[in-house]
Amino acid sequence: MLKPNKPALASKAYDVDDFAAAQEFYHANGWTDGLPVVPPTAAAVEAALEWALMPPDQLLGIEPVRAQPIVAEKLAINAVMAGCLPMHFPIVAAAFQAMLRDEFLLHGVTSSTGGAAVLVVINGPVRREIGADATFNALANSDRATAAIGRALRLALINLLDVRPGGIDRTTLGHPGKFSYCLAEDEEDTRWQPLSVMRGIPEGASAVTVMAAMAPRQIMNEWTTEPREILETFAAEMRANQRHYSIYGGNYAIVIAKQLREPIERAGWSKRDIAEFIYERARVRRGEWAEVGKGSIVRDRADKVHTALASPDHLLVIAAGGPAGGFGAVIPPWMGSKTKAVTAAIGACVDCEPPKG
Amino acid sequence: MTIRVFDPTHERKPAGGEPAARPVSLKGKTVGFISNGKEGTKGYFAHLERLLRAELGVADIVWRTKSNYSAPADRAIIDEIKKWQAVVAGVGD
Repeated sequence: MLKPNKPALASKAYDVDDFAAAQEFYHANGWTDGLPVVPPTAAAVEAALEWALMPPDQLLGIEPVRAQPIVAEKLAINAVMAGCLPMHFPIVAAAFQAMLRDEFLLHGVTSSTGGAAVLVVINGPVRREIGADATFNALANSDRATAAIGRALRLALINLLDVRPGGIDRTTLGHPGKFSYCLAEDEEDTRWQPLSVMRGIPEGASAVTVMAAMAPRQIMNEWTTEPREILETFAAEMRANQRHYSIYGGNYAIVIAKQLREPIERAGWSKRDIAEFIYERARVRRGEWAEVGKGSIVRDRADKVHTALASPDHLLVIAAGGPAGGFGAVIPPWMGSKTKAVTAAIGACVDCEPPKG
Repeated sequence: MTIRVFDPTHERKPAGGEPAARPVSLKGKTVGFISNGKEGTKGYFAHLERLLRAELGVADIVWRTKSNYSAPADRAIIDEIKKWQAVVAGVGD
């Protein structure tokens, strides 16, 4: 049977001797993150594009500062290199498109000395289709899908926007999330609304949320079941971040694992309740900077109060983590007031007009 | 058996125009400073202004500050650049 003609890939092709030669070729050209890559063959790249129903030349967006177009073929090549399966590619594409939105300020996020990574949170039915695991080791190598999807975004930044250390990436230190920083939400084991729904995506739709994020700061409180006491520990960690890193407000994410989640849920607290409590508690006086060696910039504004969140809406509450352990994590923003987290549906246009006629 | 693989990069030259002609001398010229607005730039640019005026005879220094230190310079600043003969920009923390 004749197969319909597929549009050919337009990228420059190279013939390499074998798998090992492919590794040396990609490393030598500065096309990797330092780890081995899956050789992006035509079959693998085309399979990724087919899964997402995208022709190779589909324009996914344009990076606004450097006017760099991002086309599906190039993103798919990087996704394959990262170890993505075809079914992962629609998530990679949705996340990258979200990163290209003006409010994300991708150029600032990826070039800054501050050293943010792109945190990706996956919601909806797609999590189960791809085998994402939101429980054990949720913020690290919990499963193949989230590991590869997070890595694909970093490889795409390196290769499509020249975000290489010392190039566009001027990061002073960075953090390990810059290899891959992706997790799914544990929607099955919580009564709370999914993060995506809290951020305007219809219930039942799959979605990604991207946030310019610093390293997770783990908290522990195994000695109470009182929601206010548990959440006070999270708020204290946010205050610490305001004092030691940046005092300015922005999107913070908090990850609440099951042992701490259960008493909060049992007490009837919603994610909104949590956000309102944290909004009130996570704030510092500018004068506190003098206690941590930053007195020179307090000036005459010692009593000015800085909130970690501009409003409760700016807190991203994520249910994830293994079943035992009174742990959670605060994930601070890169530079709060400069960038906003973006949530986008996967493979759907939520705002599209219905077809006419 | 060889493997055919593909270039993962954008395969484009970096976007942007040609660099302007370099001035032979800054004597009597106008130089613009585009600050990213961070605290440390104030002392740096003040010192640089003294050097440019005293040692290179620069006639005028125009100070401008970006509204967002992580974004490109504002349109109004870009439009003003053509009035200057040299610019100092890209100075970070």
